[in-house]
Amino acid sequence: MSRVNRRSFLKFSALAGGGISLGFALGGCSDSPASLPDSAEGAVQPNAFLQLTPKGQLILQLHKAEMGQGVIESMTTLAGEELNWDPNTIEVQFAEFHPEFRDPEMMLMTTGGSSSLRTSMPIVREAAASLAHVLKAAAGRHWSVDASRIVLQDGEVIYGTERLPVAALVPTAINEPLPETVSLKPAAQFRFIGKRSVRHDALKKSTGTADFGIDSGPSDAAVAVLVRCPYFGGKLKSFDAGDLKQQADIIDVLEVNGGVAVVANGYWPARKAANSLSVEWSKGPLAGTSADTIRQQQRALLDDKDGLERLEKGEEPEAGGVTVVREYFAPILAHATMEPQNAVAVVSGDSAEIWCPNQGPDGVQGAVARALGIDPSNVTVNSCFLGGGFGRRLVPDYAVEAALIAKAVDRPVRLIWSREDDTRHDFYRPPATIRFTAQLNNGRIESFRSKLVAPGIYASMTPWIAGAALPPWVPGAVPETLGSLVAYVDPPAGEGINDSDYEFGYQEARFVRQKLPLPLGFWRSVGHSHNGFFMESVMDELAHEAKADPLQFRIDHLPEDSPRRRLLDMIQAAGEWGNAPAGQFQGIAVHESFHTKVAQVATVSVENGQIKVHRVFCAVDCGLAVNPDVVQAQIEGGIVFGLTAALKGEITLEDGRVQQSNFHDYPMMRMNEIPEVEVQVLASSEPPTGVGEPGLPPIAPAVANAVFAATGQRLRELPLRLANS
Amino acid sequence: MAEFRFQINGEQAVVDATPDTPLLWVVREQLGLTGSKFGCGMGLCGACTMHMDGQAIRSCSMPVQLVDGKTVTTIEGLSGGDELHPLQQAWIDQNVPQCGYCQSGQIMSAASLLARDPNPSDDAIRSAMSGNICRCGTYSRIHKAIKQAASAQVSGVWEPPQSASDALAAEQREVQA
Repeated sequence: MSRVNRRSFLKFSALAGGGISLGFALGGCSDSPASLPDSAEGAVQPNAFLQLTPKGQLILQLHKAEMGQGVIESMTTLAGEELNWDPNTIEVQFAEFHPEFRDPEMMLMTTGGSSSLRTSMPIVREAAASLAHVLKAAAGRHWSVDASRIVLQDGEVIYGTERLPVAALVPTAINEPLPETVSLKPAAQFRFIGKRSVRHDALKKSTGTADFGIDSGPSDAAVAVLVRCPYFGGKLKSFDAGDLKQQADIIDVLEVNGGVAVVANGYWPARKAANSLSVEWSKGPLAGTSADTIRQQQRALLDDKDGLERLEKGEEPEAGGVTVVREYFAPILAHATMEPQNAVAVVSGDSAEIWCPNQGPDGVQGAVARALGIDPSNVTVNSCFLGGGFGRRLVPDYAVEAALIAKAVDRPVRLIWSREDDTRHDFYRPPATIRFTAQLNNGRIESFRSKLVAPGIYASMTPWIAGAALPPWVPGAVPETLGSLVAYVDPPAGEGINDSDYEFGYQEARFVRQKLPLPLGFWRSVGHSHNGFFMESVMDELAHEAKADPLQFRIDHLPEDSPRRRLLDMIQAAGEWGNAPAGQFQGIAVHESFHTKVAQVATVSVENGQIKVHRVFCAVDCGLAVNPDVVQAQIEGGIVFGLTAALKGEITLEDGRVQQSNFHDYPMMRMNEIPEVEVQVLASSEPPTGVGEPGLPPIAPAVANAVFAATGQRLRELPLRLANS
Repeated sequence: MAEFRFQINGEQAVVDATPDTPLLWVVREQLGLTGSKFGCGMGLCGACTMHMDGQAIRSCSMPVQLVDGKTVTTIEGLSGGDELHPLQQAWIDQNVPQCGYCQSGQIMSAASLLARDPNPSDDAIRSAMSGNICRCGTYSRIHKAIKQAASAQVSGVWEPPQSASDALAAEQREVQA
């Protein structure tokens, strides 16, 4: 039986209120139970997601990476809703790769793009509804009544006054045919969706019993550190291990993957030995490149190149009014996950087993398989809690390193990156420079042109994605996969500009790709992370140029039915604009990313050249808030993450190597620096959209706009630094 | 390599390590207690926070040589039994953790704060906790949870377990004062 085309999930809007689904997870015919993951003995398992054991335990395979964004909450809530089953009693297992877990948009088993809940909403609900169906069918058979007379509630099937625990039905439910279609619970009957819940993982994470990558895998594995070339693209010339190999606690010192691996019986001896190595490197193509070089190159490209036209719409206006030209810059940034990269690898013959934090197990399989020259289906990937993801764990470079070291020393190896390794060998958020040329006439933006210069992320990411996209069992998916990735990510450089719903008389967006052989990747909110700052800063400048109120100016440039306009109305209705306490000043920003719209008002004061953010009021439109507390937490988390980028961090190169290393020179926001944050979520029954990233893009411009209000200084670069501070 | 002995979570530990080995790695690798985390190796992030003789320390920068003869408490030993420490209960009630990697260290720093200042002001909380980084940005909930735990302790709901060496140390401080 062929699977319904997953692209038809776009019709899901009919499902938010209940109704018949389109069959994503109902794949019983093509997958026999033997091919489903982690099957408990004798369990009912209608699909890869859910199984009910003979003891009545409901087990959910978590097909997304839990990096704090609450996918465990999302998926257990969805499953619990359709099964009428307390989500907190569902056992959650980190899923291994299975084709049913491939994301319908990304075509890979990947977590990213704030998409997990949005794309899983129909899929997981159907998977649960399918299980509910077979349980009711079995109950109907048991009582010789139609299944429609059966109620499934809190682990029991009920017919009139008769009740049975579902465990009793497992032996017969196994043989029930799976449904072709299922009904999903109407919104009016939701017990769990839309309610605050206690996080499943709160107990583990509060008692030190949650296992992250660094805690997982065989505890007797040797420990390795890898000394990597500090110059991007440089090569190992020579190294002198001295008498390190003779030391009792050192197992080996050897060249692996272009670096020098030190393998020991613990992290400390490995790290000490690595620090004492003398290693010679060649400098690679970025020799002589500094932070200034990169900026100058971008400015030169802005002047010298037309680049590609990415968007043109509207009519070019007649000359008139005032022309405003502004340039902005955002620097290279590192992810700085609290858990440094790490992986455990056990390699034997033509198979490998990996334990690592990751945002895509099939990505790890593919990359490790290619590196070892083995079949991806012989690579087992064990996932775990991630100590932060933010897009960093989409690249399984650390898993490949661990596998190569394990193979070279022929024993299980745990590879641990130091904070310095992590800061200096990231897949960075690219630097970007933009020039806006706008024509303002009678308070309206008649023409809005942008030219963005940035290195493209794909050149860096494609080899890693290709590793996952080329598994032998899906040969035809390769171009589709890569194509889907392009479409899904919507070339990140221009996102937030090319797709803006601001109504300009004429808009043109151009992109000039800078060739910069720096490892680049997806950093929380990706292109929006700089384009939010660029767009909402220039809109503010244009508002001031037009002598208009910044909030009203934005409303005036948004279509009547724009969700962003509704959020600005919410802010006004809440009295959050124009009411700053004495000595404090406000800035506003409103931005859409990953289908979610967010407006923020930052209230700021400037004292002794220091920017202090007192309060952030945030209005969010994310459709139906399945887990409202998770929405609050993620939006606030995105704001804090964005404040570090707005106020503190930048990665700079000197002679082709990263200057920063640890939290003293790449600082993070701390508790004594954060503002009070209030988040209001627009009540909505639209399908849910994600909140992992959308809280981030508006905060830098909101703060920068407030700083302008406070000081008259317009800051056009991140991190924000006042003159004479 | 040398032998070092110390109390950890109420039990005697005997370890063999080079004197400069940070306590964090001894605890994680030799004692198998992985609740305390490695975040920076420089005492800047607080993920490794443990208590040594009742004081919060950054175990990634504490050579095991200096731990000899001392009393160590890690996140695993915080509750001293089956019941959760009020901070842990508050952490759950407030849904504090996101990724969770920093939270062992956050809780240990908070426990140290409450031990010396049972009813801390907002400023005291911010100041005491500013050594612990949370990249996920859970700070405001950490703050709320500390206040919840503080009021639970003040209202007499929970007593900190006092080990023999804690009592002895308290006596000695009194004598020296």
